[in-house]
Amino acid sequence: MSAQPDTAVEVDGLSKNYGPVAALSSVSFSIESGQYFVLLGPSGGGKTTLLRLIGGFIRPSRGRVLLHGRDVGDEPPNRRPTSMVFQSYALFPHMSVERNVAYGLKLRKMAAPEIGRRVARMLELVGLAGYEARMPHELSGGQQQRVQLARSLVLESDILLLDEPLASLDAKLRKDMCLELKHIQEKVGITFIHVTHNQEEAMTIADRIAIIADGRLVEEGTARDVYERPRRRFTAEFIGDNNLLHGTVSAIAAEPGGRVKVDLGYAEVAVDATVAEGTDVAAGDAVSLSVRSELVELVAPGGAEDGARQTVPATYLEEVYLGLTTSHLVRLPDGSEVAVRRISEGGDAAPPAPGQEVRIGWKTPSARLHVE
Amino acid sequence: MRDDYTSELGHGLKWAYLLGIVGALLAPVFYVIYISFNEFGFGARIYVFTVDWYRVVLGDKMLVASLEWTIYLALAAVATAVPMGLLSAKLYKKTRYKVAIVTLMLAPLFVPADIMASSLLVFFRHLNGIFELIGEALGWAWLTHWFELGFFTALVGQILYTLPYAFVVILITMSRYHPQQTEAARSCGATAWQAFWHVEFPQIRAGVFSACAFVVILSFNEATRTALLKGGFDTFSNVLVSQMLNVGMSEESYAMAGIMSIGAMTVIGSILIYTLVRSERLEREARAKAEPVMST
Repeated sequence: MSAQPDTAVEVDGLSKNYGPVAALSSVSFSIESGQYFVLLGPSGGGKTTLLRLIGGFIRPSRGRVLLHGRDVGDEPPNRRPTSMVFQSYALFPHMSVERNVAYGLKLRKMAAPEIGRRVARMLELVGLAGYEARMPHELSGGQQQRVQLARSLVLESDILLLDEPLASLDAKLRKDMCLELKHIQEKVGITFIHVTHNQEEAMTIADRIAIIADGRLVEEGTARDVYERPRRRFTAEFIGDNNLLHGTVSAIAAEPGGRVKVDLGYAEVAVDATVAEGTDVAAGDAVSLSVRSELVELVAPGGAEDGARQTVPATYLEEVYLGLTTSHLVRLPDGSEVAVRRISEGGDAAPPAPGQEVRIGWKTPSARLHVE
Repeated sequence: MRDDYTSELGHGLKWAYLLGIVGALLAPVFYVIYISFNEFGFGARIYVFTVDWYRVVLGDKMLVASLEWTIYLALAAVATAVPMGLLSAKLYKKTRYKVAIVTLMLAPLFVPADIMASSLLVFFRHLNGIFELIGEALGWAWLTHWFELGFFTALVGQILYTLPYAFVVILITMSRYHPQQTEAARSCGATAWQAFWHVEFPQIRAGVFSACAFVVILSFNEATRTALLKGGFDTFSNVLVSQMLNVGMSEESYAMAGIMSIGAMTVIGSILIYTLVRSERLEREARAKAEPVMST
């Protein structure tokens, strides 16, 4: 076998229109071989359309899909080096588990003993050895999804497409299956492209995440990148529990490594220039700041005000106990609400009284700058 | 379906009502069959069981010929109307214009049989005339007899009559089919035809076979369209109707009606029994296997 290029999937200016409606607009990215790549975004954002375009179930209106460097635009799904796991209803109900998994191998006219060996190995991998004779309706939702996975993996395609494969499972099962998917991908070493709207699922499994919304690629990066260093305001709003503060740029430091100052109307805060790097702002521009709720803190009265930390006045509203964490809600002078999240501990000090004037603060590098 | 709060009496009355209605509707059919086995026919004071009238019918060359024509017509209608119904049902599932498809497919049901038959008769006559003119003008003699009344024109009438039923019966079965399964098959490497044949067809097979049975029964049931469009042959129903109109119901007529009723009930009954037995067997197997399944 000849060496394959490192890029498994390359999507170049891909668009899909349904009449006047643009389901996908000029999306471009590439995925390296062996990566677990997640398409994350709100429902109706175009993730599944993108996945189906890669799989060949629909034709693009514009743009190209290259799989291992080969333009597959005119090839139907059965001729692409991909296989797909669907959200639900995709097992063949009139075939047993064994026949479902063996279906693709039979189409390839593989010898029966070899099919038997491969099916057994794959059912072992997904933890369903002994279930060969069961019919799909005799399996739980999680087991059905594992059969789908086995049916796709047994084909040894280079690229596995997963369209919200865990969406129909309950929360506990979804969590377990998430890790299993990741471990299976590490074992088989092929490229996985996984569509989900669940950010926890995405963070658990992804090597890289692409945020898709309104038919566009919003941002792409590692799980840590998009969570800790979101470049776009949409990402900050969608991923994690971010607080958004709105203001205008009041000053930009001339010296390298200086700070951008943002006037919030009731306070002026500074943002590290390194955070604003790549963001083209000028004095007077309307901008947003995002700060994750776990990085915001209630500043004790008389707490030190220094250049390393930004603080703003607020009114304490209430405490919300969430189990692992406790959220403290405060209102800023402009009426917007901010959440301050803490790990719940038995010895937590009593929170301020509702209505009490407080200050909240964050370390300067914790805030991200976004152009409106 | 019963629940714990259903009254026993009410439940029994519903079943009695249902069976009463079905019995009342089928009583005349069974009565005709009963008479067809009486040596002395309808109205006789004594009843002597015989199958002689059936022997007479099956020994009558004209009747046997009409039976053969009906079978040919039914088979040709099955071979044409059922695939067309299947394709239309598949189109319905895919298209956005569902109302338009349903309206087009069911429209022939709303045209009375006499009107439809006479319209087709006029249409074929004119079409034949046009083809003759073209044939004469071009010197192509082979164009001149395309639409003369005969088996083909009767078949067109039969297709128009049976296609809506085939479409509806298949569509009902197809409504439970999830198109993701076709995509899953394609994703496993199947061509479009393989995906249909291996995955979709086994799940809609019951509907397709029911449509075949329906078209056969309708072909035996149809008299008006074939009477006007058939040309030089007779179908079983045509002979039966013409006998009744000309000489009234004879012992042979009862036997002919008996053949048709017994044939139709055998076909429908077999399908029903097969379906019930199969579903019972599958449920039993599922229960037996399902016991040890552990949720994960």
